[in-house]
Amino acid sequence: MDNDHAFAELIQEYIAESLPLAEAVSDAFLALERRWQEGDAAAGEVVELKGTLHTLKGNSAMMGLRPMQVVAHALEDLAARVAADERARTEAESALLVEGAGLLIDLIGAAADAQSGSGEAEEFVARVRRRLEADAAPAVPLRLERRRAERRPDGAPDAGTVRVDFRRLDTLLEIFGEAMIEQSALTEVYRRLAARIGSSAEVTDLDRVVVSLRATMKRLESALMQTRLLPISTVFNRFPRAVRDLARDEQKQVRLVIEGGDTLLDKTILDRLGEPLVHLVSNAVVHGVESEAERLRAGKPAEAVLSLRATALADRVVISVSDDGRGLETERILAKARALGLEPASPTPADVHGLIFVPGFSTAEQVSHVAGRGVGLDAAAAAIHDLGGGIEVASEAGRGTRFTLSVPLTLAIVRSLIVEVDRERYAVPLSHVAETVRVEPGALHEINRQGVVMWRGSAIHVADGGRLLGTGTTRTAPRNYFVVLFAGPRHRGLLVDRLVGHQDVVVKGLDPTLGRPDVVSGATILGDGRVACILDAAGIVAQREAA
Amino acid sequence: MTLSTARPGTFLVVDDSALHHQMYRLIFSKGSLAGSTLYHAMNGREGYALLAAHPELTVVLLDLNMPEMNGLEFLARRQAEKLHPHIPIVLVTTESTPDDEARGRTAGAWDYLRKPFQPADVARLVERLQAERAPAA
Repeated sequence: MDNDHAFAELIQEYIAESLPLAEAVSDAFLALERRWQEGDAAAGEVVELKGTLHTLKGNSAMMGLRPMQVVAHALEDLAARVAADERARTEAESALLVEGAGLLIDLIGAAADAQSGSGEAEEFVARVRRRLEADAAPAVPLRLERRRAERRPDGAPDAGTVRVDFRRLDTLLEIFGEAMIEQSALTEVYRRLAARIGSSAEVTDLDRVVVSLRATMKRLESALMQTRLLPISTVFNRFPRAVRDLARDEQKQVRLVIEGGDTLLDKTILDRLGEPLVHLVSNAVVHGVESEAERLRAGKPAEAVLSLRATALADRVVISVSDDGRGLETERILAKARALGLEPASPTPADVHGLIFVPGFSTAEQVSHVAGRGVGLDAAAAAIHDLGGGIEVASEAGRGTRFTLSVPLTLAIVRSLIVEVDRERYAVPLSHVAETVRVEPGALHEINRQGVVMWRGSAIHVADGGRLLGTGTTRTAPRNYFVVLFAGPRHRGLLVDRLVGHQDVVVKGLDPTLGRPDVVSGATILGDGRVACILDAAGIVAQREAA
Repeated sequence: MTLSTARPGTFLVVDDSALHHQMYRLIFSKGSLAGSTLYHAMNGREGYALLAAHPELTVVLLDLNMPEMNGLEFLARRQAEKLHPHIPIVLVTTESTPDDEARGRTAGAWDYLRKPFQPADVARLVERLQAERAPAA
């Protein structure tokens, strides 16, 4: 912008205040466009937006930013027309409203740079003026009420809300984690004490305290978790505009359906979910959805439907990204996999499709179009696995593809199975445990120097816990059990000496100097004060592919 | 810029935009207005409370469009309660229609300030209002 302007030094304040307003306008126009396409011609939100556009125009004018000022003004006029006259609620108007809001976001975002965008702004304004002239009908414009106050009655929904630095919530959780470790230490001591002195009035009292403390800690945990949760719509909200722009670039018609935006997730997970989701959504638009001509030839509606759904389960959230496009091409994936020396566990479509997540598979450029998917799916899958989540794909040729992601509600506390290998204890996240099985004599086989065991009618690979975790040379106990781990459609058995029990463990990060071991994702402290590694189940399962 | 003879004073800004408050801060820290005392309110309700508490105010700059009591509601209440009627109130608008202005005048606005404005516009306005009040003072 012009550095001589009286308020030039306030440019960052201008951006900080105006960008969210422009984004709110854009979201509302997108919602409006969607509803009009569905045949509902209401335009209620336009009345509310009038005030926002007015503020944007005023802010821009004060800053001497003419492109933003004229675009906001044009949108104001067009919105007023739309509000006043039902006949002006057509695709032409909604497309202009959405485009203008997008332009406004871009202009404001770049406001700190040298004056630019005026050509684009003037061109847009000229098109709006032409549209308004074309619409010109004897209808009298409604006088729009600008009072936002009426929609925000005193004390309404913001009442009693405080903003808290997220790091403070992390500190609370950390302290809670310490308390949890002390609680399990207390339980451990209590057990030993009870075993030694038998029943007495004091032991009964202590038992009562230990039990009610456990219940209280559970309640505290869930109350703490509540403070960390945000609706997934904070991530989903970026998609309406992204999908619209991408579809336009690709010259496709794509309708985005979003469900379950109010599903809550830990902020830490939300922050890391955006990128893989963007990947899946853009792949769906670019590679999954066919061209209009191809769809019509296949007897499908020209407009494709892409849906984004979130559902909350007890301790997980399941998110699906599905399209009604061409689907994965099983034969071609299989051929490609064999060329890369990969073999699916079985020739069923589920196992073959699962190969697209294998590292290195989807990075092969030519796979992208033939398989109906883009590059980098392995990266998206890895990001989900890092979150302790899983990703699966289901696809039917000609009918579409659905990716299903499942992520834990939180990263801070992991429900685990505690196992023992060579006297060391490990925590295995229950989210990746399919079953634990006692090893029967003669059940283990070796094929190609890899252990194999029969499980639910098929052979799965097993790894010796000691060898995997580097304690194998001091084998002291027979491996009595195998734990069946799974990530997506793939399974792998892990041989362990003993199953200790279930426990909620507080995750402690690994010191960065340890690097990032393949099979360990973190550490925790058990009730007896011992440090235990948390196994990276997804990493262990994936290792088989590399072996 | 013509040299203004406006004098520093005590001003109340009522506006729901943080950006505008920053702008007023710049305006009242430079030139002939430097050294002024500035009170800030983010809505009409807060502004009204500040007006009640500060009979020494030189001028109130009141935005027209605000949540929680807009400019016209502010003026109407002030007129009804005859709260410090000697303090001039300036209604700040963007492209207001003559109709808006007439309603504002009826409701007791002394003057108008139209966006976009420059620091010099504010200085001139303050100068004019100070001159108008001088004989009575």
